[in-house]
Amino acid sequence: MSSLMTSGADSPRPNARSRAEKIYRLLLHAYPSSFRADYGRDMTQLFRDQWREGSRNALHFWCTIAWDVAQSAPHLRLEAWRGRVQANTPTMGVIMKIISILTVLLGLFTALSAVGEVAAGSQQGALGTAYLLAIVLGAVAGGLLLTAGVAALRDTPSGRRTASRCAIASLVAFLVARLVFGWMSIFAQLVGIVLPIAIIVMLYRRRRAPEVA
Amino acid sequence: MVRSETKVVTPESLLPLAPATFQILLTLVDGECHGYAIMKEVAERTEGKVRLGAGTLYGALKRLLESGLVEEGGERADQELDDERRRYYRLTKFGLRVARAEARRLEAMVRAARRKKLIGPEPA
Repeated sequence: MSSLMTSGADSPRPNARSRAEKIYRLLLHAYPSSFRADYGRDMTQLFRDQWREGSRNALHFWCTIAWDVAQSAPHLRLEAWRGRVQANTPTMGVIMKIISILTVLLGLFTALSAVGEVAAGSQQGALGTAYLLAIVLGAVAGGLLLTAGVAALRDTPSGRRTASRCAIASLVAFLVARLVFGWMSIFAQLVGIVLPIAIIVMLYRRRRAPEVA
Repeated sequence: MVRSETKVVTPESLLPLAPATFQILLTLVDGECHGYAIMKEVAERTEGKVRLGAGTLYGALKRLLESGLVEEGGERADQELDDERRRYYRLTKFGLRVARAEARRLEAMVRAARRKKLIGPEPA
């Protein structure tokens, strides 16, 4: 490192420049790879120019270089990350569609199984008030989930609004059903709690993400 | 569903410019330059007060290229420096309009400061 303490044209050792350049190339890894690919060569060239220009104080020279990297690299990384998020927006649309279809199917399944429960329970005459209320709430939650899925599939601002309202209502109905009737399968809980939350999160992200032309 | 929105970008909508960005545009008003020449001219013009590092300079140039204020003018060697090929940058017509708009904005601010006697009258 001692040879790096003598920078500029007055440097007695020509190897010092190539060593300094190697260090600078390592520092360039702080920048996003796409930026490095576009400007890495130019930046190294500029570094060579600065080195040739010389600095009386090598420590000051390296501090200036490090300060520049520390100042500009995070900003460029953030920009690159934003670019990637924007580029991934169509992927988010596909995920949204999959979740919506899943919501429609599971909403339909929940509503139908609730109706089936009522039919089976009434034949056996084993329907308690709490159980019946839980089944009705389950059917309502399933219906709302089905509506949320259909509305989300439309992917219009009004459709998204309806979908998020239905998903919230479905979540509330399901949580009340869970409180009224304690026993519930893990699958039913996953469908009733996780799915509305997933659809609400996806709708929120879809609203925030800019649409790319 | 993909919705396309056409946003009209006027020079004024890009103001105020970051000091480093305006310095780069100001340098390119005289003609195309490579990175090192921009860096040197900015340092000379500002008496060393603004020193653009490589990351700051090329980061700003990347943004200027993306927003159409600057364009690449090809690669060639600078006879005064060495035989290395260098990438040159030049101002676009839109870039010139943006630089003018920023200069006018700054001029208006200086005029306001003069009216308030914050600074002395314009030298003859």
